[in-house]
Amino acid sequence: MEPLLRVVNLSKSFGTLPALQQVSFQVQAGEVVGFAGQSGAGKSALAMVLVGLYAPNEGEVYFAGRRLEWPYRARALGIEVIHQAPDLAERLDVSSNVFLGNEIGWPLVGKWLQVPRRRQMDREAARILAQLDVHFSSLRERVANLSSEQRQMVAIARTMTRPARLIIVDDPALLLSYAYQQKLLSLIQTWQQQGTAIIFSSNNLDHLLAVTDRIIVLHRGRRVAEYRTDEADREEIIAALVGTTDHQQLTPILWALDSYYRAREQAEKLHHQQTLLERDLAAQDTLNQELIEQLAEQVNALDRANAALQDAQRRLLTEREQERKHLSRELHDQVIQDLLSVNYELEEVEADADVTAAQERERLKEIRGSIRGLVGDLRHICGSLRPPTIDSLGLGAALQSYTQDWARRTGVTMTLHLDADLGRLPEPIELSIFRIVQEGLNNVRKHARASKVQVALKRTSPRTLLISIADDGQGLAEDFDLAALAGAGHYGLLGISERVALLGGRLKLQNQASGGVLIQVEIPHPRVAK
Amino acid sequence: MDDKAIVSSQVGETPSLLRSGRRLWRMLVSRHEFSALVLLLVVGTFLSLRTNTFLTSNNLSNVSRAFSWIAIAAFGESMAIIIGGIDLSVGAVMALAGLISALCLRAGYAVPLAILAGLLTGGLVGWVNGIVVGRVRLPPFIVTLATMSIARGITFALTGGWPVRDLPAGFRVLGQSDLALGSLSLPLPTLFMLGLSVVMSLLLGHTVLGSYIFTLGNSERALLVCGVDVAQIKVMAYTLCGLLTALGGLLMTARLGVAAPTAATGYELDIIAGAVIGGTSLFGGTGSILGVLLGAAAMQVLRNGLVLLGFPAYFQTVTIGALILTAILLDYWRKGPARQ
Repeated sequence: MEPLLRVVNLSKSFGTLPALQQVSFQVQAGEVVGFAGQSGAGKSALAMVLVGLYAPNEGEVYFAGRRLEWPYRARALGIEVIHQAPDLAERLDVSSNVFLGNEIGWPLVGKWLQVPRRRQMDREAARILAQLDVHFSSLRERVANLSSEQRQMVAIARTMTRPARLIIVDDPALLLSYAYQQKLLSLIQTWQQQGTAIIFSSNNLDHLLAVTDRIIVLHRGRRVAEYRTDEADREEIIAALVGTTDHQQLTPILWALDSYYRAREQAEKLHHQQTLLERDLAAQDTLNQELIEQLAEQVNALDRANAALQDAQRRLLTEREQERKHLSRELHDQVIQDLLSVNYELEEVEADADVTAAQERERLKEIRGSIRGLVGDLRHICGSLRPPTIDSLGLGAALQSYTQDWARRTGVTMTLHLDADLGRLPEPIELSIFRIVQEGLNNVRKHARASKVQVALKRTSPRTLLISIADDGQGLAEDFDLAALAGAGHYGLLGISERVALLGGRLKLQNQASGGVLIQVEIPHPRVAK
Repeated sequence: MDDKAIVSSQVGETPSLLRSGRRLWRMLVSRHEFSALVLLLVVGTFLSLRTNTFLTSNNLSNVSRAFSWIAIAAFGESMAIIIGGIDLSVGAVMALAGLISALCLRAGYAVPLAILAGLLTGGLVGWVNGIVVGRVRLPPFIVTLATMSIARGITFALTGGWPVRDLPAGFRVLGQSDLALGSLSLPLPTLFMLGLSVVMSLLLGHTVLGSYIFTLGNSERALLVCGVDVAQIKVMAYTLCGLLTALGGLLMTARLGVAAPTAATGYELDIIAGAVIGGTSLFGGTGSILGVLLGAAAMQVLRNGLVLLGFPAYFQTVTIGALILTAILLDYWRKGPARQ
């Protein structure tokens, strides 16, 4: 049977350098013929001659029984070539390159005046590239912007736009990664099953052993050996490749080649794993990013909740003050007035001597005395519920009256320093300061066993106020902890710290060097009109 | 890449009108027609301010007529340049095609036949150029220099050096009549030029051949490997160049009413200059018909301006030469080996 391709005594030299010398071989339809050889053995020169671009110095080539004359266009005959380095039209995009020389167009007049049908070409190119596991974000990307591996895959896709009779694969694997090398090998097998003949040159003996039917070995442009792949012996092929049969020379080369292939494969696998790892890392990174975002969101939510809570507490305090005010007014206006009128009636009864005996008069006097005491107590309660002076006379007056009263009741010596130009502050702030002093003094009375207390209120800057309460008592315990107080049922200092926090101020609690506790509270306040 | 990013981030804060203005500006600068357009506008503005004769419809229609055949020949020349070659024979082919037509007319042939003969002459010279450059693969500079000499020699040989006069009015009407479009009166050659520019733009921009012509200029090997008949493209490009040049020559002859063997001497320089100023790169692979049109127009407006301003005739040549050198230098800086 006439072979598909018959090459007879082909010789080609570039300048004085012989690239091919008297090479003859045949390729049957549907056969995969491998060409092994070191660099410079003539594999690429063979591809160059067979693609029809360079005329040989000598020899003949018959394709499907017809003798070929140089230069010829291999593609017109059904011969496709994949070169070692892809030749692409740099300015054109991916799909135009895939269909270069094979454009699908509107048939106007002849092939030259066709108008390319871009959309159909894009669709077909996408289908072919998907078979090769190559994906581009856009098929309109210029190939000049692609990686060398992508470019090589475009060149491979180019051979698949039209069924071919012979495909010359000239070692394109150098530019490909491990995965695409395997893809190329399986592609060669697919082509063979479709009845296409293949000439496969490769530097990698394992690739050749994997897919070829025969292996022809070239050495310095000459054909030195041919093996059936089934019966081929690796070492024998390598001996032919290197051009020596001397074992002493051959063994290190074998060893080196083996380890070279193994190293390359390892490197490829490592590279593959690295990409996987990098992808993993990138995924993890995005996960972290998401977590951080969620965390930030939660912190935000907490902040909002906290703000709402503070707001609620502020409202609660205000309402409590309102209620106290209301209560004290009720007490003052109703209960005390009632008591006073009862007292007045009793006085009238007492004065009416006709009715009451002397003995009864004594008792009435006693009752009236206790009613007066009751009124006094009630007034005091009203005062602490709602310092009566704070509404009308302001914080300074209220503090003065309160501290005097406190000193009188407890017998502790009290010193009060007030800044002269205190002015009036907004009502909630004045009340809070009053309450802070109240709580502080309560605390002193309960725990400090002090003999002297100093209360001072002064402006440290136009927008801040410093309240300090110093006593000469026994001081804070060493293991004093503000947070533990609530557990023990002591709310005095805790109440102070909460009020300070609501006002956005700072609280400082410390033992003085001279003994006793110093409470310092600094509170910001809005600008005050003097 | 980085520069762009910086620019766009700065642009991000400017109003959108300014931003789109800048984008338009960048797009304009990157077009290869840009320098021709600028030259045309600058020279045109200068002349309309300095003279009161430039901006008359009579002068403008004369200018457009005068560069129409240069532009038509430059359409063909630009194809030879885009595929990475050059055609020096264009001036001689213009003269030869005009002369052949004139001789046919004088011999009594009908006008259409005479025109056909002239066109075929130009096509033949172009085809010979294409065959020798494409199939035999000789350098186009030498080949077309030789065919230039041959064509010019034939004009002298056929006439003995005397011009051919008294051409029939049926032929002269091609170059001398105007077509009134409303208030606008367009010379016939100008209309030919505009029509051809549309046809050539479609050919270069939308057909397989056009795509191959551009690809041939920058990736010839890709076409070879893909089994495209590169030599055939070269033959077609040079033949088309010859045909268009011949058409330009016929229009010129019809306008002058005389076919002189010395006609169109030195026109190859104007034609190449028009193409190069219009953004056709001498390194191959880039160019556009619109650019060539603008380039040819700019050249003619400059020439016209120098005449209107009373510039000494010899210095006009110096100016044109300097302009061509500038255009080639610009092309070199933009695309040449230094950029590769």
